[in-house]
Parts: sequence; structure tokens; C-alpha cells
Amino acid sequence: MSIIKSVTCPICGCLCDDIELTVEKNEVVKVRNGCAICESKFIGYKGHHRVKTPLMRKDGKLVSVSMDEAVHAAAEILANANYPILYGWSSTSSEAQRVGVELTEEVGGIMDNTAVVCHGPSILGVQEVGIPTCTLGQIRHRADLIIYWGCDPWSAHPRHLERYTSFTEGRFENSEWKAFMQKLKAQAGQKKLESAARIEIGSTHPKPQTCTVPGMPQSMNKSGRKLIVVDVRKTMSAEMADYFIQVQPNKDYELMQALRVLVNDGELDVDNVAGVPVEYLKDVADALVNCEFGVIFFGMGLTQTAGKFRNIEVAIQLVRDLNSRTKFTIMPMRGHFNVTGANVVSAWQSGYPYGVDFSLGYPRYNPGETTCMDVLLREENDASLVIASDPGANFPKKAVENMIKHPLIVIDPHMNATSMLADIVFPSAFVGIEVEGTAYRMDHVPLPLKKVVEPPKGVLSDEEILTKILEEVKVIKSSSKKSTKKVEA
Amino acid sequence: MTEVIIKNGFVYDPINGVKGEKMDISLKNGKIVEKVTHNAKVIDATGLTVMPGGVDIHTHIAGGEVNIGRMIRPEDHVKDTVAKTAMTRSGTGYSIPSTFVTGYRYSQMGYTTVMNPSMAPLEAKHTHEELNDIPLLDKATYPLIGDWWFVLEYLRKGDLEECARHVAWMMDITKGYAIKIVNPGGLESWGFGRNVHSIDDQVPNFCITPREIMVGLAKVNELLNLPHSIHLHTNNLGLPGNYSTTLETMKALEKVPYHGKPVAHITHLQFSSFGGDGWGNFKSAAEEISNYINAHNHITFDMGQIIFTDTTTMTADGPFEFTLYQLSGHKWVNSDVETETSGGIIPFHYKKNNAVNATQWSIGLELALLIKDPWKMMMTTDHPNAGPFFSYPRILAWLTSKNARMATLKNCNKKAQKKSLLPSIDREITLYELAIMTRAAQAKALGLKHKGHLGVGADADVAIFNINPETTDIARKYKTARKAFKNAAYTIKDGQIVVKDGEVVGHADGRTMWLNVKTAEPCRIDEEMKSKFKQYWTVDYDNYPVSDHYVKVKDPITIKASV
Amino acid sequence: MIVLSPIRKFTYPVTAECINPDVFQDREISEIAKLPVFEGNKPKALSDLFKIENDNLETPTITINGDVSEVRRIGIGMKNGEIVINGNVGMHLGEKMAGGKITVNGNASQWAGCSIKKGTIEIHGNAGDYLASPYRGSTDGMKGGKIVVDGDVGADSGCYLQGGLIKIKGNNTGQFLGFHMSKGTIHVEKNASTRLGANMTGGKIIVSGTLEELMPSFTIDSVKAKVKVDETESAAGPFYVFLGDLAEKGTGKIFASKANNPHLKTYEKYL
Repeated sequence: MSIIKSVTCPICGCLCDDIELTVEKNEVVKVRNGCAICESKFIGYKGHHRVKTPLMRKDGKLVSVSMDEAVHAAAEILANANYPILYGWSSTSSEAQRVGVELTEEVGGIMDNTAVVCHGPSILGVQEVGIPTCTLGQIRHRADLIIYWGCDPWSAHPRHLERYTSFTEGRFENSEWKAFMQKLKAQAGQKKLESAARIEIGSTHPKPQTCTVPGMPQSMNKSGRKLIVVDVRKTMSAEMADYFIQVQPNKDYELMQALRVLVNDGELDVDNVAGVPVEYLKDVADALVNCEFGVIFFGMGLTQTAGKFRNIEVAIQLVRDLNSRTKFTIMPMRGHFNVTGANVVSAWQSGYPYGVDFSLGYPRYNPGETTCMDVLLREENDASLVIASDPGANFPKKAVENMIKHPLIVIDPHMNATSMLADIVFPSAFVGIEVEGTAYRMDHVPLPLKKVVEPPKGVLSDEEILTKILEEVKVIKSSSKKSTKKVEA
Repeated sequence: MTEVIIKNGFVYDPINGVKGEKMDISLKNGKIVEKVTHNAKVIDATGLTVMPGGVDIHTHIAGGEVNIGRMIRPEDHVKDTVAKTAMTRSGTGYSIPSTFVTGYRYSQMGYTTVMNPSMAPLEAKHTHEELNDIPLLDKATYPLIGDWWFVLEYLRKGDLEECARHVAWMMDITKGYAIKIVNPGGLESWGFGRNVHSIDDQVPNFCITPREIMVGLAKVNELLNLPHSIHLHTNNLGLPGNYSTTLETMKALEKVPYHGKPVAHITHLQFSSFGGDGWGNFKSAAEEISNYINAHNHITFDMGQIIFTDTTTMTADGPFEFTLYQLSGHKWVNSDVETETSGGIIPFHYKKNNAVNATQWSIGLELALLIKDPWKMMMTTDHPNAGPFFSYPRILAWLTSKNARMATLKNCNKKAQKKSLLPSIDREITLYELAIMTRAAQAKALGLKHKGHLGVGADADVAIFNINPETTDIARKYKTARKAFKNAAYTIKDGQIVVKDGEVVGHADGRTMWLNVKTAEPCRIDEEMKSKFKQYWTVDYDNYPVSDHYVKVKDPITIKASV
Repeated sequence: MIVLSPIRKFTYPVTAECINPDVFQDREISEIAKLPVFEGNKPKALSDLFKIENDNLETPTITINGDVSEVRRIGIGMKNGEIVINGNVGMHLGEKMAGGKITVNGNASQWAGCSIKKGTIEIHGNAGDYLASPYRGSTDGMKGGKIVVDGDVGADSGCYLQGGLIKIKGNNTGQFLGFHMSKGTIHVEKNASTRLGANMTGGKIIVSGTLEELMPSFTIDSVKAKVKVDETESAAGPFYVFLGDLAEKGTGKIFASKANNPHLKTYEKYL
């Protein structure tokens, strides 16, 4: 039995690196410090759906084949394709991602990653206006106003508040954990009274939730850290906030533009924006301007609602405007543990963060044109390789239908929705559990991922599988060049 | 056992006092040797200029900040695309080339060693991952520690030796090469949106001044026997009238014990040599600065020469980048790093008809021409801040040819033309002095014993240019010279021809150099330190250092400290 | 002059910058046939994909008969001449055009007329997203010329407009029409979607139909009886005139038809 400390968790963009694992007989038996999602991955990663050998579809069924056969078949498909897509990349290491760029360049295809269905709009927004940001430690040490806009860390990034924001001790700011616990107790007491009142009156129907935004509460005047949550409904994160602002769905753009006007000492002709009375917005603007160090964290509530990248753009513009009055930063809550890495590696090797099209021999980038979702919906592709992601489960139906009309190669540890539709399946080792590598946190800090157990026999890493395919592709291409020369002679 | 002989070229090797003599240079197994056998491959360098491979002491080419710069400028890449060839990977430019293109373009100009001058220690792994993907060049990188909390705390306590031990530890675990200081005190202040405005301002929450940081770290540098001096980006960079801060800084550094080796290197000096007191009466203070430099020997410098083009500024000087945003309204990135440093990026277009930009252009050249000793003033653009590095041939033409300077000046803003000192400066840098400013001085300042010269034992890094100094007057034929410097006839890396006639013909990974600093007593990495680490950073101590995994081709240099 | 007919349906994107009056000028058909194009990642010759004939007419310089909805970058940067497309056409049509005319008897895909400097583009069907808008990260919007779309227009069109005229006659515009424009005119003859003129700093947008919703960062300036569209045309009001975008301290104007926008009546109290 051994205890391994300072393990980096390979789940979400928090990339918590203080996980402590107990390993016995090549299995993780105990997880300390991790959240529920972390624990479920380390304990449950083996699961029932682990693929043990390469598979190829023959007569409609996936059957075991040798690595060589699978590599050769995959390389043939990619080397001969006219417009292949290589998609995913977000749950593997930067070392594997580097091979991915070279492979995509070699086959003249598109390299795209899961940002295209997630924070791609954030990147587009940043390309328009830049981004005033920082590493997460700056928040811990300095932030006294923390805003989560269109995201729910309680569910999706469970340790975010305790490691980086409201519930952490910094050099210049303290944790609000105690105050929060007291508030919970008070709320619990209040709920008991309300529930008792309901029983007395005899009503069994809960009161309908009215969508009126209350004014700023007194707790926003306290010293110490303040927490604001902006969302379309009261999430668990919103329950923790000092102030919850319920914004009308698809109206975040208007709300932020209105705040920009107020923060720049302008006046509005309207009484209400996005369901929020302007008089309350003025209080919010004051809170923004008067803090010492503010931060906005945002998620799919902004990137995937009407306006998309313009929502991020206006959020960044608001933060930019605030920097003339105080210190303010903004950061996207990245989902997959290494989607940031996929963008980072793609950018340093090609100049572009995702949706990189190598078909003309040099990198080109234009989301909407070169992003794989759009290519699939227009039925322009003729082969796909999917790695470290599951588009079969989360792409629009039409895109998946078009994907499977053509050869599909999948590299993944598990049999997932995409591998079930594939023509060739390569089993791979889990990065951060069975193979080491590097990942980039949501604030672009690189962290090493450890190998804590051995992968199943014969199962290779993503990096090794991709390298084999790349080498085979190079052989195929150089021999086809030779044979073309012969024909010309 | 690869042997090469470069025959009959005009050799410029300032470190060994060779001033254009016709000589043969012999290479064997990647090193310069006395002689080789008749089996050696012959490169006929008759009528060609032979120099050591170029050394660039300051160029932002790798790491978190550089890469965010790449990410935010698709409109910059789209105008400069590079197709894949049998020998080379594809990529993009313009102002911040992708990694492969960076390696190829430097090599095509005859460069063989480059220094990435800004690395946030927390992001060091990223810097090294990118350096691994820059081919054909040897490289190293400088960690930013001027505003590092441990440095601020130990210097405030006056505990130089403990500070030195921590710096040695930091240099080792980030695989760094030199102490980089940017706007000392300003970056920590910027953590709350503030800045320092003089070298005696107090840094909020830390009770220390920029003067104390600079002098303290210069002394630490001495204690550790580091091969380079402290590498310094001054306070008040980019602001009108800042030359007085630069003079005060240089005077403050006179207090550091001088033993014949410079105690500091002030980088991109152009940005720190501004006169006037506002943008309206902006003018050059190159004369005041160069008068001081001509009378003192304790500091070396590099130019930071402006190129009139649409480029991207990126520095650890967060507050300065914010100022640029307020002036220009362009897209602006800010990237502060916990416990360590800050950073900012903003695109910037230097225009000939802009009075300030044109004066800045003049300042860089005035400094280089007024500073008498070429060993003190090195040629850079602080790439990409003042311009992309592949504009270097333009600068070489301006330095070596008054006609070239005047041809550009006459198209500049009229006000700037009137104020410029260039019409009154006749000096034309010679080919020998050029070799000093672009390789010999840089290697010497960096303490790189095997670079920047062609003596026996040096690395076989050689650049050969299509310039015949006997028949070509580079001062008159500056366009010919510019073309020759843009596309080297040969670039040789570790004895292998990697570029021929400006085309990449070979592959080399290049080595990453860093310092293994051995103090008598190592820095106390005990439980107290580890728990302090946990308080200061959001990563675990174990995950902070850059392991050997992150360096593809390793070239560590062991240094014995005096502490 | 030259008539191009696609010989089959194109599945993979075809990149055909050579389909350009400036390129075809003074070239024999045999030369034109060899001009390079890409189909997916395969380099081809123009004649591999198109039948190339001469119709012996003076104009148009280039006629395309057939569906070229997968053919991209036609007419990029053209300085003169005329292209007529009888079918649907692909992305980046006439990008950075500096003169001449393009007529599309069909629909145009995204990024039509990006950053044009001069010239005319007439699209008789619909236009996709990003009509006349600059490339990602660039603020290099349309500087002059005229673009007319008979049908609908997609989102993020007319962004960073710096001059010239865009006329939209269809039933729908996408969001963010005229985003961050500083000069020039956009005339929406029918209805306009939300976030119209967001971040605009100058120029004018005229909505003769219904404006779905006005950004909260605009203020009412006046009511005007009519407004000039260009030298030849005026639009009849009365119009509410709004000034903004206040978030950018902008002085751009949105003219919204009073009759068709009763929901904007509440602004009258500020007049």
C-alpha cells in the first residue's frame, strides 16, 4: 500500500493538485481532499466499459484486432482523406496534443477541440477586446468582490470557492466560510419557521417563485469578501451568495451594457433592464466601482446563450472599464481539465487556439468556417478522428449522423457513445491516473499530472497511439509520392 | 565524426580580436577546432563574411504571455502564413510567430542562440514546453523575480544571504538563466491597481523601495556568481521624462561593488530614454543617457529599436501596458501572476507620421551611435515590443549607413525630423562593431563561454553572409547589406549546415541552457517553507519545479555560489 | 466574357481565389484552365472543377452558372470588372473588394463583402452571417461602396462599418447589425433584430419596419420626418431618433419608424 500526495486531479479546470491517493495492488482505494467528482473518477475509472484491445468494425461488428492492423487502417483513412477532422483533445495531455497538431498538419485536416461547444465564444470575445485577468492565487490573496455570472461552481467546479475564492485565506483577505456557515444556520431556522407556518395554514402547495429581483442586501456593506451570483434561476451557488441577481434568459448582454453605462457615470432612459430595476443596478455599479479587487467568473450562461461571444466581449469591456476606477479581473470557468492546454498547444504551434484548418498547407482559422461542428453540419468532411471527448453524446444529431457516414476513428479509454459508432477504436490509458503528462489550469498555469497506477496490459497512452499513426501516415504519404513519380515517368 | 572547414572567408571574431582577416575556420563534432583532416566537408567562403552565430540577449518568444499574444491576434497571423515543406513545419507570423517559424526565421538570419527574457516562475513549464518547439537555436530563459514575495521580504529584512539562497533555488527549479527585474516594486503594486513612480517610492504592504530591490538583487547576483548580471527593465518605462529615473537607477547601481564585470544590464534602453514632460513636448534624452554611459562601465544595455509597423507589445510591466491601453483603446490583456509578477499585452502600430513614434525611432539609433563602446550597447527590438525580430536587417542597415537612416528619417513626422540628432551624427558602425553588437557583446554579457566567438573550443555555431567587405561598401550599398543579413548564405549549428541561401536545409533541436546554482548551504526546504509555499501559491510545492521531463535537450551549467 | 459552370456538386470546400476579374484579365482560356484551386486538401486546376467557355460578350467579365455554395473567396480584392453568379455562392465573396461589381442571383454564404473598400455587391437572395464585417480580431470594417441584399441577412453584419451603404430588404436581420460602426449607413427596409447598433460610435442605422428591441444604452434624441439614405434616396418617417451607444460615449443614430414601433412610445416622455 502506498500513499501518493500532491496528485493533480484530471477532471475539471480547477486542476486541484493537493489530492492524496491511497493505492493498493494497482488500484486507488482512497481519495483525500478531492470533491465528489474527483473521487468518483479515481475510484470508478475502470468501470465496465473499459476497452482492452484495439477494435475494428467488420461486417457491422466491432472485433478485436492487433495494434498494427488498427494503426495501418487508421493511417490509410487519414492519409487519403480530402477533409478530415481531428477532434477532442481536452481530456489528454499537452504532450499528446503536440502530436495531434503534427498529425493534423500532415494529413491536411482540421484540428478542433471541445472549446467549440463550450468556451470557444470566450476565446472569440478575447480576440476582439483582450482580457484583464490573472492567476487564481491573485483572487485568493486580494479579491473582496467575487462574482459568478452564468455559472454554478457548486455543481461544476465544487472546490472553486474553497481553493480560490470566497472560502479561502489570502494574504490580504480572509475566508468568508464562518459567515457563510452562520448564514446557513439562520436560513435553516427560517425555513423551519416557514414550513411550520405552512402546515398551520393547511396549504400543501408551495408559493410560486416570483421573478422579482430584490434590492441589494445589507450584507453587501460588510467588510471582507462579498459574493454576487448572476443567473437565470436560483442555483445552489446562488444560495451561497450575498446578493443573487436573477437575469432574464438571453438578456445578459443588455444587463452588462447597462452596467457599463452606469459605471462610466452615464444615465439610462429605461427603468428596468433584463428584469432588474435600474435603481438596483445603480447599487450594483457602486459595489463594482468601490471594491478593492473584483473578479467575474463566467460560464455557459454567457457563452451558450443569445449573443455568445458578444456576451463575453461585453463582460470583458465592463471589467476593462472598471479598471479605470479600481482593480478588476475576469476569468472563464473552463470545463475539461485540459481544454486550456488544447488551446495553448494549438496556439503555440500554429498561432490559433482551435478550429485550425491545415488543408491548404498552412494554418487557417475561422470559427463558423473551420470549426468541426459547422463542417459536419455542412457535410464537408470525409473522415474523423475523435480523442479525449465524446461528441457522439453531445453534438447535435445531424452532426453525429454526418460524422458516421464516413470512417470514424476513436481513441478513448472507455466504450462511450462515440466509440460505439466508430469504425476503429483504440483503447488508451487515463492521463493523470495511468500515464503522466501536463495539463493547463483554467488560469493557464501548467501542472504535472502523475501516473499512480499501471494501465491495463497492452493499453498505450494517447501520445504513443498518435505517434504510431503519425509515423504510418508519413510512410504512406512518402510511398504515394514515389509511386506518383513513377507514373509520370 | 563530422568535420567541416570554412575556407577563405573574411572572419569577424571580436572576442578573439579577429577583424576581417581571411582565415579558415575548422569544425569537428560540433566544436571549433584547430584543424581538420582532408576528409572535411569544404564550405568555400571566398568573398563572404564569416561571423559567429548570432546571439540575441532579449526576445519574447516563448511562454504564457507570448502565447496569449498569439491567441488574441488572428488578424495578425492571417497576413503572414508559412506553408509546410518537406523540411519544415507550417506556422504563422506576423509580430508573434508560432514556435517553429520563430526558429526558422532566426536561423535564416544567421542566429544560433536566443534568450527568452521573461518567464513567470509559476508558468515556467509552459515556457520550456514552447522552447522545446523552437528548432535550430540554443535557448535559455530568465525568471521574473524582481517582485517575488520572498525577494521583497528577505531584502526588507536585510538578509542578503537567505535571499541569495532562495534565488538560487528559484533559478534551479525554473531552469532559468538570469535574474529578471521589471519595474521593480511596480508589479506588486499593480496587484491592487497601483504603481511606483520613483525608485524611492514605498511598495504598498511591503515597506521596500525599487532602489532597495535593484541594489539588493545586484548584490545577490554577485554572491551567486551568476554568469549574467541582473537584467533590468526600469521603473517609469515608456513615460515622457523618464530618463531621469533611468539616470537615478544607474547611479543607484554604482553602489554595488564593481569587480570589472557589469553589475546590471538595462534592457530596451530606448523606452527608458524619454525627455520632455508630456506627449506634446516629447523628445529624446539619448544625449544625457549616453553621456553618462560613456563615463561609466558598470552597466550594459540593449537598444529596443523601433520599427515602423503594426506589432504587439508584451511585458511584465502590467501598469505600463494599461497606460498604453488608455492611450490607444486597443484590445488589452492583463495577466498578473500570484506571488510573483504581472504582465500585459497590447497591439501597437508605430507610425512614421506620428511625432512620438518617429522620435522613439530616432532615440534607439541615437543611443547606439552616441555610445562609443560597442561592447556596451547591443542590438535588439525587444521583440515584439518595438518590432518583430525579422526586421533586424533594417536596423543593421540604419546602424552601418547614414544614407539608410536619412532615407527613413526624411519620411518621418516633420516635428520629429527637426528634433532628431541623426542628421548631426556621421558615425557609421563598421562590420566589426556590428559583430560585437549582435553576437560578441551579447555572449560576453551573458557569460556564455562557448558562444559568440570562433576560437578553439567554442560551439560550432557560424553565420556566413553574402557580403564581401573588400568590394562592398555597406554604408553606400545598404540595401545589398540588408538583403545579405536577411538571408544568410550559410547558418551552421553545432557543425551542421541548417540554412543555405536563406532556406532551411537541416534540422537541429537546439539545447536549453539553465543554471544549476550550488550554494554552500542549500535553501531550507523544510516544512516551514513548504507550508509558507502553500499560503503563497495555489499549487502544491511538489508540483512547482520544472522537472527534466520539460527540457528536450538539456544543457545545464553548474555555478558555484559564494554563499 | 468567361463563363464558368461547375462540372459536379462539390462536397469539400473549394478555395478559388483565382476566380477574379483581375486574374482573368488578359489571360487566354488555356491559361485560365490551369489556374490553381484547392478542393478540400487536394490541389487542382480550375478546369478540373469547372467547364470554362467564352460567351464573347463584353460584360460581365465572369459569369458563373450553377451552384457554387461550396466555392470560397471568389472575387477577393478585385479592383474592377463584373462577376455575375447564377446560383448560390460560398463564403468570403468579394472580400476586401476595391472596385467593380458582383451580382448574386441566389444566396450568399457568410462573410460576403467583408471589409470592402469600394464597389457594389447585389445579393438577390439571402446573405449569411458577418456580411461586410471584418475578420476575427480586426476592426477593419467596410470603408465604402454599396451592398444590397434583397432577402434576409445573418447575425453580426455590418460590424465596424466605416463608410458606404448597406441596404437590407428582407424580413429579418440577425442580432448585432451595425456593431461598433463609426460611419456609413445601414438601411433596414423591414424588421431588425435585437442588439442593433451595439457599441456604435457614429454613422446611422435606419429601420423602416419594426425594431424588435432597443439596447438600453441608447437615449432618445428627437423625432424626424425623414432621413437621407444616400445621395439618391431618402427614407420616409416619421422616425424616432436615438443616440448612442452610451457605453462607448457614441454619437451614432438609430432611426426607428414611429408607426411601426409603438413599443418605443415610452421614450417620448424624455423629449
